[in-house]
Amino acid sequence: MLGSTSMMLHHTSGISRKQPSFPPLMGYSAVALNHVIDFKEKKQEIIKPVPPSELFPSLPIVQGTSKRIKVLTRLTLVVSDPSHCNLLRSTSANIRLYDIIAVFPKTEKLFHIACTTLDVDLVCINVTEKLPFYFRRPPVNMAIDRGIYFELLYTPAIKDSTMRRYTISNAISLMQICKGKNIVISSAAERPLELRGPYDVANLGLLFGLSEGEAKAAVSTNCRATMLHGETRKSACGVVYTVKKPRKVEEEETAVPACKKAKTQA
Amino acid sequence: MEGGARRHTFMLPGKLRTCPSITCQILPFFPCSARLQGSLGLWKMYGEGFKQKVSFLIPECGLLPEVLKSTIADIGDYYLVRSLPIHELVAHEFIDAFVKKGSCYALTYKTKIDQDNTAALLPNGKLILSVDKDTYEELGLQGRPSRYSGKKVMRYIITIDLTDAGFHPESKKHNRVLWALKEKKPLEFDFLMAWYNTGAEGSTLMSYFSKHQIQALRPKITFSTLRDLPCPVLQSNDLQGKPEESCSTEELFEWLGAVLNQVSLDNKSSSFLSTYCCPEPNTVVEKAFLCTITGFIIPEKIIQLLEQLCCYFGEPKLAYWLTLTVHGFADSPVSWRESEHGFHKGGENLYNFVIFRNLDYWLQMAVGAHDDCPP
Repeated sequence: MLGSTSMMLHHTSGISRKQPSFPPLMGYSAVALNHVIDFKEKKQEIIKPVPPSELFPSLPIVQGTSKRIKVLTRLTLVVSDPSHCNLLRSTSANIRLYDIIAVFPKTEKLFHIACTTLDVDLVCINVTEKLPFYFRRPPVNMAIDRGIYFELLYTPAIKDSTMRRYTISNAISLMQICKGKNIVISSAAERPLELRGPYDVANLGLLFGLSEGEAKAAVSTNCRATMLHGETRKSACGVVYTVKKPRKVEEEETAVPACKKAKTQA
Repeated sequence: MEGGARRHTFMLPGKLRTCPSITCQILPFFPCSARLQGSLGLWKMYGEGFKQKVSFLIPECGLLPEVLKSTIADIGDYYLVRSLPIHELVAHEFIDAFVKKGSCYALTYKTKIDQDNTAALLPNGKLILSVDKDTYEELGLQGRPSRYSGKKVMRYIITIDLTDAGFHPESKKHNRVLWALKEKKPLEFDFLMAWYNTGAEGSTLMSYFSKHQIQALRPKITFSTLRDLPCPVLQSNDLQGKPEESCSTEELFEWLGAVLNQVSLDNKSSSFLSTYCCPEPNTVVEKAFLCTITGFIIPEKIIQLLEQLCCYFGEPKLAYWLTLTVHGFADSPVSWRESEHGFHKGGENLYNFVIFRNLDYWLQMAVGAHDDCPP
């Protein structure tokens, strides 16, 4: 199990081999590689995620510990129309291969649908422009009850001062409704320079209106909870886990007579 | 030192010699041992725990006296044992050979207290395991939630008293602990270990753990002589400092942190790193001796060093004061005695002795946000 530490979400448009060396040096023990699907563009298909073992033959060790970094795969769906959500409802084989699924709603109605009915782990909050809608308590509380976390990005705040204002104002308006619960702060870093250490990100959470404990949880405990939420999608109600095990041929033959016996006795 | 979220500093002024009468006379040539009796006994209580770094600074000193040099050289080795399963520390052979005879110290190496499982063995025979929620639920041993865990408990502390009378080889307690650590959830760590025995013969840690990868390591010792160092003027009976006369304890603490971290104190206009200056009033000393010892240092050796530093003023010296700073490990599960230590944004737990020429002393203790106030 992951030693609860920071989860940094990393956009990969072109994956370079050198990238995995930076997060473990900063102290992150898990990283999620993100793949974005924007339904506005035509012909978007969900492709199979590339397994981390193929991308990085040997994972680096987290600085200060002797464990290797954990790499997860994540899918972000940018939805601006209710019909886009149909993809999540269908049991597409490729979607189930991702560890974490996030949705980025663009309208208030979609935000409501994402919080109340959609089977996702994260709901992304827009930080690059003024929010087109206000947050309301019922959908936010329902999302908290369902175990869905709200994601805030910090990299746009590093890049541009206007986006910094929007990030802080959007974050504060979210905090007023959700009271600091169920928040995950992540980067959307495409370059190593846009990464910040986990304790620095936890400090940034204080600017967003989180308390000290909530800010640290936003980069550690809440990320672990999101991962577990994603894992429950691969199990039955989060209780039963099925693992494919190769069956031997002789087992099948011996099973058959036992069934026949039971029938005759009954 | 560096600013943390909440840093508590405590000052304890004191006299290093016993005062037989109410009107205390300052007698600078008292023999060392009599002076230290009272306060060091008190200090042994606070001084427990695992120490990572010891530094001392002596102004107006170019060469270290021989007796101090030999005390430092006598610091002793510590051991790094790789991939040691923790049930070996619960085995009765280990307890009889090391824990019951002398003081045995062990701490997990390269584990972070706020993320990973950590273990520590204290010299009083208590094995402390600080485990995360998943490990606690899988392990099945009784513990209590961590004090710094918040509403949703994510960390638990399990304390096992190895010297307890009820912990003998055939007892239920011992069998349960051994089963949990050996079969239910085998935990394996790299350990830093040290053993202080008062002359008793027997096997050493090196021979006991010869089957595992054990390495003997020496603490890293660096000496440096600082030239033209501005030092604050201090009055031993004046903790708050008087303007134009002496510096306060907080100013000394900040200045000492700057000197030990080799921050330049001249506030050059071309420097963008620091604008810190030595607090006023200060005197520029021609030379000062700084020694830093880094490693796994046990409190018994630190007390010997402290005793020798107190004896430094046995002969007339130019310096008015000297300091000894001891840092604990940031990732240790315990800080003072057995009080729990956590890592919020910083895990500092350190104490600083300032010893004056007249054998008065100041004791400053600093802890991080997730720490107990020292008693």
